[in-house]
Amino acid sequence: MRNRASLILALAIAALSGWAIFSALAWPWKAKLFPLVISIPLLCLALAEVLWVLLGSAPGAAAADFKLSEEHPPEVARRRTAIAVAWIGGFFVVILLLGFLIAVPLLVFAYLKLQGKESWGFSIAFTLALWAGFYGLFDQLLHLPFPAGWLFEWLGLAG
Amino acid sequence: MLEALWEGLLLILQWKPFAFMLVGVLVGFWVGLLPGIGGATTLALMLPFIYTMQPVEAFAFLLGMHSVVATTGDITSILFGVPGEATTAAIILDGHAMAKRGEAGRALGAALTASLIGALIGAAALALAIPIVRPLVLTFGSPEMFMLAIVGLAFIASLSAQGARGMVRGFLAGGLGMMLAMVGQDPQAGVARFTLGTLYLWQGLDLVPVLVGLFAIPEIIDLAVRGTSIAGGVPAGRISRGALEGVKDVFRNFFLTIRCALIGTFIGITPGLGGAVAQWMAYGHATQSARTPEERKGFGAGDVRGVIGPGAACNSKEGGALIPTIAFGVPGSTSMAILLGGFFLLGLVPGPEMLTKHLALTFSLVWTIVLANVITVVVCALLLNRLAGLTNVAGHRLIPVILVLVFIGSFTSNSQYADILVTLVFGGVGYLMVVAGWPRAPLVLGLVLGKIAENYLYISVARYDAAWLARPVVVALLVVAAAVVCYPVFQAWRGRRRSQHA
Amino acid sequence: MKRRQLLVAAIGLAASPLALAQSFGGKTVTIIVGYKPGGGYDATARLLARYLPKHLPGKPTVIVQNMPGGNSIIAANHLYNVAKPDGLTIGTFNRNLPIAQLTSVEGVKYDITKFQWIGSAANETTILAIRSELPYKTFEELRKAKEQVVIGSTGPGANTHDFPLLLKDLLGVNLKIVSGYSSSADIMLAVERKEVDGRAGSFTSLRPFIERNLVKPIVRARSTEPGLENLPVDESFAPNPRAKAIMALRSAPELIARPYVLPPKTPAPIVAAMREAFAKTIQDPELIAEGKKTKTELEFTSGDQAVKILAEVLNQPKEIVQEFSKYIKFGE
Repeated sequence: MRNRASLILALAIAALSGWAIFSALAWPWKAKLFPLVISIPLLCLALAEVLWVLLGSAPGAAAADFKLSEEHPPEVARRRTAIAVAWIGGFFVVILLLGFLIAVPLLVFAYLKLQGKESWGFSIAFTLALWAGFYGLFDQLLHLPFPAGWLFEWLGLAG
Repeated sequence: MLEALWEGLLLILQWKPFAFMLVGVLVGFWVGLLPGIGGATTLALMLPFIYTMQPVEAFAFLLGMHSVVATTGDITSILFGVPGEATTAAIILDGHAMAKRGEAGRALGAALTASLIGALIGAAALALAIPIVRPLVLTFGSPEMFMLAIVGLAFIASLSAQGARGMVRGFLAGGLGMMLAMVGQDPQAGVARFTLGTLYLWQGLDLVPVLVGLFAIPEIIDLAVRGTSIAGGVPAGRISRGALEGVKDVFRNFFLTIRCALIGTFIGITPGLGGAVAQWMAYGHATQSARTPEERKGFGAGDVRGVIGPGAACNSKEGGALIPTIAFGVPGSTSMAILLGGFFLLGLVPGPEMLTKHLALTFSLVWTIVLANVITVVVCALLLNRLAGLTNVAGHRLIPVILVLVFIGSFTSNSQYADILVTLVFGGVGYLMVVAGWPRAPLVLGLVLGKIAENYLYISVARYDAAWLARPVVVALLVVAAAVVCYPVFQAWRGRRRSQHA
Repeated sequence: MKRRQLLVAAIGLAASPLALAQSFGGKTVTIIVGYKPGGGYDATARLLARYLPKHLPGKPTVIVQNMPGGNSIIAANHLYNVAKPDGLTIGTFNRNLPIAQLTSVEGVKYDITKFQWIGSAANETTILAIRSELPYKTFEELRKAKEQVVIGSTGPGANTHDFPLLLKDLLGVNLKIVSGYSSSADIMLAVERKEVDGRAGSFTSLRPFIERNLVKPIVRARSTEPGLENLPVDESFAPNPRAKAIMALRSAPELIARPYVLPPKTPAPIVAAMREAFAKTIQDPELIAEGKKTKTELEFTSGDQAVKILAEVLNQPKEIVQEFSKYIKFGE
């Protein structure tokens, strides 16, 4: 697992730095010097890490950083991870389609009810409280320019 | 000098300025807690009110607000793993790990005490340095700024895992960060670099969406996987104690606290390096205090020293950051630019006279920072155990709230959907890095320092050719950078020897 | 936010644009700023937002929204293509947007002349200031300088860079431009520590340092302000018409430094009402007093005047545009 994630990251960095070198070559030297000085060693380091993984050496010590919890069996963890990712991605899509002002209460409510299996009363009260705070602060006070949802634009209701 | 110190205190202790300071503290408290809403946005919103105040009141209000934002930002970072402010991301690594272990109270106690001590040391250093502050700032030219950025980047070594492979990963993350710092229009030739043809990336990547994605998204996923509250199975009774333990922790590591506070003050005084750097340098320094490899492994898993270090650095820099604004009339940040407007209201042009003729006013600013911090910490201390109780709330109730904060927090930086996309992309990167055991801190250091390093290198070469390499401070900083890089190696060697002897 | 506005707008339009022009009562007018909160464009907009309601028929609420990015091309594109032309959305953005259009910058999706121009709230005078202790007292003396004079800059596209660049390349002043400073404040510190000898920038931002006698103004661009009338103008030293045209082109947008526009196709009565209110607002004595206290000085330029200046910028022969793009890149 750790080695596979490492391989993905190293390959991605190698590809990215390769692309960076390629696109930097067209620039005047003052603009390309620094990107090249960084991306060339980066490409080498990334390839070294790729080789390390492919040659099957042990993952080595993990960094001083947060580690995912391992209290659940892998298949449970994997399923729950997929669900969490789906919620996060879904949240973004719903914001795009309906706009922040509708998406926020909808998703908070949906999460509480579907994922949290909370009671109707609690879900509604919690959603209303959160939405009131959100609307008051970000819309009324800070005047953030929330775009209308794409769905409304497509339907010609706004634009 | 002492007289001015006293006069300054009296200025701020008049009831109206004091009342406005309290209002400022109250506003700053919330601004700090909410990710994304930065001090500058809030200050801009508050401007209409400021115009109606007396100048001393306006200062008290602005600075009172400004100086508590970082303090309460720590709270969000520790409790939820979401950076409350860009300057409080480093405290997540160990602070949130402690919260998950059911030690939120202790972590908060330690963070707040460290910030208080940091603020006091920063203010004291500022007061002591006033006679020499102008020459001090003026010795730091572009070559020295470049070397400071290099010292900062050298901390990548301390923030990586030990061994060759750990270093390679650390420097991969750091290099990636520096590459990302290159995004946007370059200041030499005006070329739009790595912008993928979008207008969004033209002015570079914003720090807040990147940080929020990198740190908050993996924590949210993990919380969902665990299916419990943040503190898991730890009984509620235990969580809402322990704040006092955190306070004691700070005094147990008193010299570390002081050293990190001094790092913060120093970074604060040097304009141009940016507030987001100090916390990571302090965190890197804190990891160096580990004496054995086992101790070293505790960092990132909830070592209280990883909370104390950034906590102390974060607030001590505020005093220092005032210096360029006061002594030279050049604001170091947007918030300071707005503060500068306050000076104009008063009919003052900030400059050398602020350190001689208007010294009392300068000291009243220092006192405001001190008092605002003391008040915030005392108020938070009363709420501390209750705040810690939030880690006992069921995860499925917290996750939607955190998600909304994450999305809106990143959206506030440019008000574009691309901000959220950046957060999601870096959420993915952060998650992969966590799974692979790569450190995320070097990426942030690279992102924060990459541009600074490039710009000051060009200025140094353009202005001094090669002669800048011989400047004494440059040489001294080079030695420091070398020491910082070599220290982890020495640390590993010493650790091995100790465990052999044991 | 947006949706409510649109609803209001729909009702307003149904009732005929004329009725709306007569009164903005009960409505919300939004000023879209192409920058983040805290900068000069934002500060001016927020100041105007507080005084504009007083002068608009019906005293509507006026709020400020920030839409930063792409040196405010994003805000201009939004205003041109998305915002409803109902008088409830005003835009203020980078004064150099006409330059972006002229030099065909990628991502430009507007025609600056097709906006309904309300006017400009301020002009900006770019000057070059050098350290007071340098031996050059006049621009003539600086031109004859044997030793290189080092000028700090933030980078191409900013007036800290472009103005001295033209002095150097077109007038042959012995300057060395060192770019990469993170802000004009950062350059000012470099001036203090004698790392650079001076900087170019707006008179407003340099004035405190001139008053403190750290730097002295030496030459200015075409736009002017009280106290600078006697400073020589860069264009007057131009060796040929081509050089003069390039310098004029660079400085033209500075005459409309705080542009305010309505979306294209906004009905004429609304534009007229907005123009009138805007003109009155800027001449409001209370606002002027407040601006003086905070050192944000406003100068009214009418919408017609602004359009005239734009026409001058955009109607350049091809070869001048080509020459111009060699020196100047769109930015800030």
